[in-house]
Amino acid sequence: MMSLQALMSAVSQFRPDDETGGLLRAIVESSDDAIIGKSLDGTIVSWNAGAQRMYGYTPAEAVGQSIALIVPVGQREELERISSEIAQGRRVASHETIRVTRDGRRLNVSLTVSPIVDATGRVVGASAIARDITEAKRVEAALRASEERYRSIIDSAVDAIIVIDRRGRVEAFNAAAERLFGYAAKDVLGRNVTMLMPEPYHTEHDAYMARYLTTGEKRIIGIGRQVTAQRKNGTTFPVHLSVGEMTIDGETRFTGILHDLTARVALETQLREQAALTRLGEMAAVVAHEVKNPLTGIRGAVQIIGSRLPAGSRDAEVIKEIVARIDALNDLMKDLLLFARPPQPRLAPTDPRPILETVVNLVRQDPGAREIAIQVVGTSDTIVADQELLKLVIQNLLLNAVHAINGAGSIQIDVHTTGSMCRMTVTDSGPGIPPEVREKLFTPFFTTKARGTGLGLSTAKRFVEAQGGTLAIDCPPRGGTTVSIELPRFEGTAPQRSGS
Amino acid sequence: MPINTQSRILVVDDELLIRWSLSEALTAAGYAVVEGRDAAEARQAIRDQDHKPDLVVLDYRLPDSNDLGLLTTIRHEAPTVPVILMTAYGTAEVVKGALDLGAYRVVSKPFEVHDMASLVTEALAAR
Repeated sequence: MMSLQALMSAVSQFRPDDETGGLLRAIVESSDDAIIGKSLDGTIVSWNAGAQRMYGYTPAEAVGQSIALIVPVGQREELERISSEIAQGRRVASHETIRVTRDGRRLNVSLTVSPIVDATGRVVGASAIARDITEAKRVEAALRASEERYRSIIDSAVDAIIVIDRRGRVEAFNAAAERLFGYAAKDVLGRNVTMLMPEPYHTEHDAYMARYLTTGEKRIIGIGRQVTAQRKNGTTFPVHLSVGEMTIDGETRFTGILHDLTARVALETQLREQAALTRLGEMAAVVAHEVKNPLTGIRGAVQIIGSRLPAGSRDAEVIKEIVARIDALNDLMKDLLLFARPPQPRLAPTDPRPILETVVNLVRQDPGAREIAIQVVGTSDTIVADQELLKLVIQNLLLNAVHAINGAGSIQIDVHTTGSMCRMTVTDSGPGIPPEVREKLFTPFFTTKARGTGLGLSTAKRFVEAQGGTLAIDCPPRGGTTVSIELPRFEGTAPQRSGS
Repeated sequence: MPINTQSRILVVDDELLIRWSLSEALTAAGYAVVEGRDAAEARQAIRDQDHKPDLVVLDYRLPDSNDLGLLTTIRHEAPTVPVILMTAYGTAEVVKGALDLGAYRVVSKPFEVHDMASLVTEALAAR
């Protein structure tokens, strides 16, 4: 095209009957591009066959007309700019613009305009070469739309989609993957996919890939299985991973689709725990009967024998201790029954504050609470709860706090309404809970006390959940322990008397 | 003290130590005690016209009885005889059912053996 430009400028120098001029004319005429000559004032002076094909005007129609013939109204400024460049002898390099055809179609064209100078070097006109790029633009736009469509499909997918190359480097990381792993795509792209895996997957992955690429042995491709993935914050979670293989430009790539199984695994665990608790409940009922009957007999018989000891006998202390130990065994059975077979909650509109006061007064009598200041602050709306269960829960938490303080200290119970829930927190001034103990707090039969069943907190949690609430434990950095209970607020307008 | 009248108390439990300790405590309190080990012996004792018990201390669960059937029979055959029911694991339904059938009291095991003697005296006085 460049040489054509040069030739065009020469065209004006030659007479039409000139032999060389005829050759040049033939070249210009055979071009697929529109090649137009115009004078400085914008009058069309030559119009090749390409221009006729592209714009629809014959040379007879176009020559003598203003170049504005094919320039859309909105593009007139561009025309002036080009004219001014040409007048100063400067070439307007190839750029994209719009032109209009005889039948009104708008064309995307790539346009180059060069000045034409005469023998003295004076600018006498311009040559414009235009190529129709409408089709190319359409194809490009269609490709872009198609790519955007696929991208939006991938990015709107609920499952994480990750593409890696044959060396394990991440090439694509969709929006669901960003959410699932907590990484932005830019943090992951180009890095080895093993960054998303905990051990042993992390170490084994490269070897898996290498083996597959050399032997074709499939461990996961086309099969899919449950694996463990690792988030940015280091926590792990279960996913179902299915891997597909594809070849693009001769390069093998793998597409992994990851479905988060956290909720399903949690549900399965919950169901398993529930089944275990049901079995435990059935067992506890049998054991309770089999244990309590002999305990009753032993207790009664020991008491009768004790009552026959001579006055002042030192054995009386032993009898007392036997009875106390029997009672401790019985308490264990009671705790086990409460945990394993919690009573069905009888929910009723309840004012939590008087219940808290009652339990606090009861706990104040505990010998361990002698040097502990217990206070209740705040108020709450009416809640929906089972009064007896709530009492047991609060008593449990307060006794835990008393044992944690183990001497002098303070316990504060805050009660207030937050949204649709009533929140009650029990905060003690004790030493707090060591991190290694924290995760086992709700494990039945786990205890740090010399004489504890390890059922108190699990039972409290079960009772609260049975009433539609939640129980959580927090150990603030400043020390102590805070146990929070949330129970649903009563939404009715006319509270009935509870216990009905 | 009801020494003169010698009220007869039927104690029904399959656990020897419970029968023995209750028997000792009630005898010491001046009562005559008849023992039964199961539902069959309890029925027999309640139908003994010559030595009809004045009060029954009954275990809910016996080798041949694990429901309120025995209590129903006793209340039917001897409606004026107070029954104190003992349970090792009494659900709310069992307690309510027993009281509806006219049991004087439902006592959870284990209990203070001497409190049982007081409760018997109270129940007899309430007849």
